[in-house]
Amino acid sequence: MIWVTWRQHRAQILVTAAFLVLLGMLLLGSAVEASRYVAEHAPPGCPGVAVACGDLAVALGQRYEAVYSIFGWMPLVAPALIGAFWGAPLLGREYERGTHRLAWTQSVPVGRWLAVKLSLLGGAVVAGGLLLSLMVSLWRPVFRTGADSTFGNIGVFNMVGVGPAAWWLYAFALGTAAGTLFRRTLPAMALVVAGVAVSMFTLFQLSDYYAEPARTELSGTVLPADPDARLVSAAWVEPSGREVAEPADSGCPRRVDVGQSSKNAEAWQACLFGKGYRYAVYYHPPSRFWRFQWTDGGILALASAALVGLAVHRTLRRPG
Amino acid sequence: MRPALEATGLGVRYRRTWALRDCSLSVPAGRVAALVGPNGAGKTTLMHAAVGLLRPTLGSVRVAGEAAFVAQDKPLYESFTVAEMLAFGRRMNTRWDDAADRLAGLGIPLKQKVSGLSGGQQAQVALTLALACRPDLLVLDEPLANLDPVARHDVMRSIMAEVAGRELTVLLSSHVVSDLEETCDWLVVLNGGRLQVSGDIEDLLDGHLVLTGPEGASAAGTQVVGASRVGRQVSMLVRGAPPLDPRWQARRPGLEELVMGYLRSPESAALPGLTGVGA
Amino acid sequence: MIEFNLDRGSGVSTYLQLVHQVKQALRLGTLRPGDQLPTAREVVESLAINPNTVLKAYRELEREGLVEGRPGMGTFVRQGIAGATLAEHTRLRRSLEEWVRDARAAGLDQEDLRALFTVVLADAAKEGVA
Repeated sequence: MIWVTWRQHRAQILVTAAFLVLLGMLLLGSAVEASRYVAEHAPPGCPGVAVACGDLAVALGQRYEAVYSIFGWMPLVAPALIGAFWGAPLLGREYERGTHRLAWTQSVPVGRWLAVKLSLLGGAVVAGGLLLSLMVSLWRPVFRTGADSTFGNIGVFNMVGVGPAAWWLYAFALGTAAGTLFRRTLPAMALVVAGVAVSMFTLFQLSDYYAEPARTELSGTVLPADPDARLVSAAWVEPSGREVAEPADSGCPRRVDVGQSSKNAEAWQACLFGKGYRYAVYYHPPSRFWRFQWTDGGILALASAALVGLAVHRTLRRPG
Repeated sequence: MRPALEATGLGVRYRRTWALRDCSLSVPAGRVAALVGPNGAGKTTLMHAAVGLLRPTLGSVRVAGEAAFVAQDKPLYESFTVAEMLAFGRRMNTRWDDAADRLAGLGIPLKQKVSGLSGGQQAQVALTLALACRPDLLVLDEPLANLDPVARHDVMRSIMAEVAGRELTVLLSSHVVSDLEETCDWLVVLNGGRLQVSGDIEDLLDGHLVLTGPEGASAAGTQVVGASRVGRQVSMLVRGAPPLDPRWQARRPGLEELVMGYLRSPESAALPGLTGVGA
Repeated sequence: MIEFNLDRGSGVSTYLQLVHQVKQALRLGTLRPGDQLPTAREVVESLAINPNTVLKAYRELEREGLVEGRPGMGTFVRQGIAGATLAEHTRLRRSLEEWVRDARAAGLDQEDLRALFTVVLADAAKEGVA
């Protein structure tokens, strides 16, 4: 049964392994190169949060634009591909080609056939996700020492910790279940891609409620001190202490900005602060990183279990 | 003797329609049973229930020992080589005979990909996989469909040789009765999801007559399965002893005539007692 | 040794065709006492017919005392069929020729002759004469 699983799915396994190796080499290469560049060009104390480090960060950003753009897409594309090529064909292709009637009429019972496949492939997917997370975690500090944004940036957040493993497993389970629903590979693949995108958006919206947001009152600026915090909401606080969404009768003129300029908005904010207004920010601090990681992971694991349960149920019901 | 296949009150429903209803039959061990009927008669459903691919809605179906199944269109993994298909069979079964020699004897190269084989060769590989796990019951869904005449003959020869070699019961479906004339000794006719005929072919042919005679001749004393009229001449398929009226000319029907006679008269049936084996 | 072949359009049942072919071979002397008949598997592999049909034919031949099954070895010819002698053959042929001339004179054509002969043969078979 292990050989059968390997033989039937070796293309996906090999391509994914090759992708991880290639990515590892790319990350390692860029990290080594970037360290050398930093050693040669960085002013003392950089990279870091100091203003002087800004130029270096920009220069690094330009140098590694290609790597960054891979990064931008990977949190969404990688699980979608896993779901489409590991999950959807698992049962979808068997039904499509009629080979389920071959596979399920051998001595090995259907239940065991499915259990072995799901556990081996599911295990491989989780291992792959963890490996990706490990590589990204090792790579990022080279660029962002002291200014890590693994929490505030949702894309990065989904590529470190248990994020990739959870998303990959979820996409795999979604693909498998979709395969039993459509009994065809292509529609199941399409459902996985759409499903992963919708789930990612939904979960991000939901994550605001994982914990009671912290509240802080700012004066003189509307930007929280920690760039890695996740903003939930914000409001103006009148001198009386009342929170309002939009200050009324403040006496500060508000004019609409043109183009990319924010001059008018800034002037309006400065006027408000001058009149004793403060800016209340509700946010999740980066210290909640693991709490959010495990909550995401837990929700995805439960959803995966439910989807796998559905796939198993539909398979064992044996409708022809 | 214990029947190789036994269905009792078997009913299978897909959503709202019954694919098979109230089907009770048994096929004695060592027989080659033909399962015939028009498309949609429930042949595939009966076979899938027998090999456990679907659960009966009502009743039960039992196989004595192990069953092997070759589904319609003989599904195989197209990206596998023939040798890998054999490895698949070996790893998926507890009983397994090395079947490489058999395929080599048929001139099928083991290193060839399944997708590169002819239809006849694919049928032989599928059949070899089914036979290699030494089943007690071999269930074949339309094994001869889409094969050229030489391949049909070769596949049938392989099946018959296996039956001659050991105790094996075969249930094979076809909607072409002439395919089955020389090879089957048990007949099961399904029509519209209902069982119409089940029994030994020789007994059935001996027990029926084709009568030809003038309109108005008395068929009293026989059980008429079906009749047709051309001008003043009537032909009938009847069950039982020939009628007394001397104007009838009687002869033994062919298998095809028998099957057609029943299929044209869905309300007629030739079944043993619900519990009897009939052999 | 004997090699069977089938006339699938003849309407004669398969097992009877096998029986007839063995008998014919015995008459012609191509099969002699002690010769082995092909095994059911061998017949089946060349003709693609049900092995029970072959066994049924062999049982019939055994019942008539022409062959015997030796467990684990196969089926062997026990005795030949004493066909009519050459002299008998000639005599019967003469009388048939005479009958045909007679029938011609009575106005029967080729078709009529054949039909009449078939009917008589069939009736004789029914009565167990032939």
